[in-house]
Amino acid sequence: MVRRVKRTGWLLCMPGFVVLAVAFVWPMIILARMSLNETADTGAMVETFSLATYRKLAEDSFTWQMTADSLLLSATCATFALLLAYPMALLLFRSTSRFRHLLAIVAVAPLLVSGTARVIGWLAILGDRGMINNILRFVGLGVQPLINNWTGVRIGLTESVMPYAMLALLGGFGRLDRLLEEAAATLGAGPMRRFWRVTFPLTLPAVTAAWLLAFVLTVSAFITPHLMGGGRVFVLATEIFDAASVTLDWPAAAALSIYALVLLMLLLGAQATLLRKRRT
Amino acid sequence: MRPTTALLTAGFLSLVPAAQAADTVRLMSYSDTFRDHYTETVLTPYAARGGARVEYVPVAGLGSAAMLGQLRTQKNDPQLDVIIMDATTAAIACAEGLVEPVDAQMLPVIKELDPQAVAAGGKCGPGVTFDHLVIVYDTKAVIPAPTSLKELWNAKWKGRIALGAPPNIQGLALTAILAHADTGDWTKADGAFKALAALAPSVQTFDPQPDSNTVVLNHTVDFSTNWNARGQLFHDTSNGQLGVMLPSEGTVFQINTINVVKNSHARAAALDFMAYALSAPAQKAFTERMFYGPTNLTAQIAPEAANRTAAAPQFKASVIPLDWNEMIKLRDSWNQRWRREVISAGGR
Repeated sequence: MVRRVKRTGWLLCMPGFVVLAVAFVWPMIILARMSLNETADTGAMVETFSLATYRKLAEDSFTWQMTADSLLLSATCATFALLLAYPMALLLFRSTSRFRHLLAIVAVAPLLVSGTARVIGWLAILGDRGMINNILRFVGLGVQPLINNWTGVRIGLTESVMPYAMLALLGGFGRLDRLLEEAAATLGAGPMRRFWRVTFPLTLPAVTAAWLLAFVLTVSAFITPHLMGGGRVFVLATEIFDAASVTLDWPAAAALSIYALVLLMLLLGAQATLLRKRRT
Repeated sequence: MRPTTALLTAGFLSLVPAAQAADTVRLMSYSDTFRDHYTETVLTPYAARGGARVEYVPVAGLGSAAMLGQLRTQKNDPQLDVIIMDATTAAIACAEGLVEPVDAQMLPVIKELDPQAVAAGGKCGPGVTFDHLVIVYDTKAVIPAPTSLKELWNAKWKGRIALGAPPNIQGLALTAILAHADTGDWTKADGAFKALAALAPSVQTFDPQPDSNTVVLNHTVDFSTNWNARGQLFHDTSNGQLGVMLPSEGTVFQINTINVVKNSHARAAALDFMAYALSAPAQKAFTERMFYGPTNLTAQIAPEAANRTAAAPQFKASVIPLDWNEMIKLRDSWNQRWRREVISAGGR
């Protein structure tokens, strides 16, 4: 009986596995194969089996600098997004207002607008002659460069991943038991102590999941660094795009993609191991 | 046949791509204004004189790069017959055997072409349009009208400049012009990189978005690198707000070549269309509409249009003879030098 249920379970999973194989595994195999080709001096792609592209990337200090910059940017933006999303998510979770659902929709409304349109909106708001700089100029602070640099990319990316962080937090707040907070209050704990000793530890799994989601989305984000970086921001995603679509160095684009994938898998693996160790 | 069987058969057939009619030529090239003007000035007259039906397949966004992508993915069963793309990308397509070699025996019109246009195509299709690097500027902010690249180094324009840095070929072209002005040899670029590093702090963006014309017209910057033809077109549509400067230091051609796709399903018709596209009437009509320089030396261009292209006799001397095939070999190292010496000096 158990064996039969198990077999049915596997059969039910088959459509999902097939979709995954066609949409993910097969393209990844093609990508891995492409990364073993080479690009000649003339720009033409040479079909071969060689690790030359990986070697070239590994020997270039720019690759390592770009990797460090990408990870730092993603960690920073994920942290900012979490700091901004956490209070809002907690407020929404606890709200008993009849507008609660409406507020939740408003909080994730940016997801209803295309990423490119949002970035173009930011360009207009943060530009040297945009709304923010007009206010700064009016109060005598002068023009502050808020786009075409790392600052602009940080602002844009934080805003773009914030709704995702909020959704992940809301989903994970299920473990937050109001009775435990009330018990802490009864025992004399003040609001801050209650938050740090009861509320925050209970929401930590949600915080970790939200941060990871924001981090992964930021590492792979391309539109914001491309449009708001002003050609000054070099991260893995923009480099892959340039290699694939501008310099037409497909082996380099494929090798960088594989490298980014392996890097992310290693980081996620390390994080999962750390969490498991903490629990035991 | 039972109705159900007939319905299923019809449904199945509708899923199978219709076989391409042998006399329909599928031409792939740039989208938006290029497509509109090329259709009106070249495709429509070609059809009127009894040529094959030409279906224009526009490629959005990434231009030549996306076209090469299509050629690579369709290598075993091409769905395109003719392709008009940037010479540097076409050279890759030629080296990879994605387009056909052509010569004057196959296409006698090649004998009428500018030698630079023929050389740009190598053993494959020749240049069909010339364009060149210019600086576009806001005519209301930049007075008097600039004539030299030196104006960009004026401290007055700090934060008001956009440069298309490599891998955008505008950045490579600008480097070559500065190198030529400095040493007389466009490949010796040490001085050019020093000059660009000094300019970097004045640059607001090394990647103008959404494009070079718009960033000037919406007052984000006052100067930007650009290609002449689109600059001239925006000059007209903006009622002169966008100015176009051909620098006194010279310029370099950007060349679009025309090629027949290898194993084209409509090869004969494709070659016939290619011959027409390179002929004097087609070249004249397109240049007078969109200010791409003609590559056919026998095309008699109206002076008012000719004077807005670098192919005009008075500007021809200012065109630096740059070999883009040589440039491709330098591209990687120049790209790195831009990042390490120029962009890093232009923090914001």
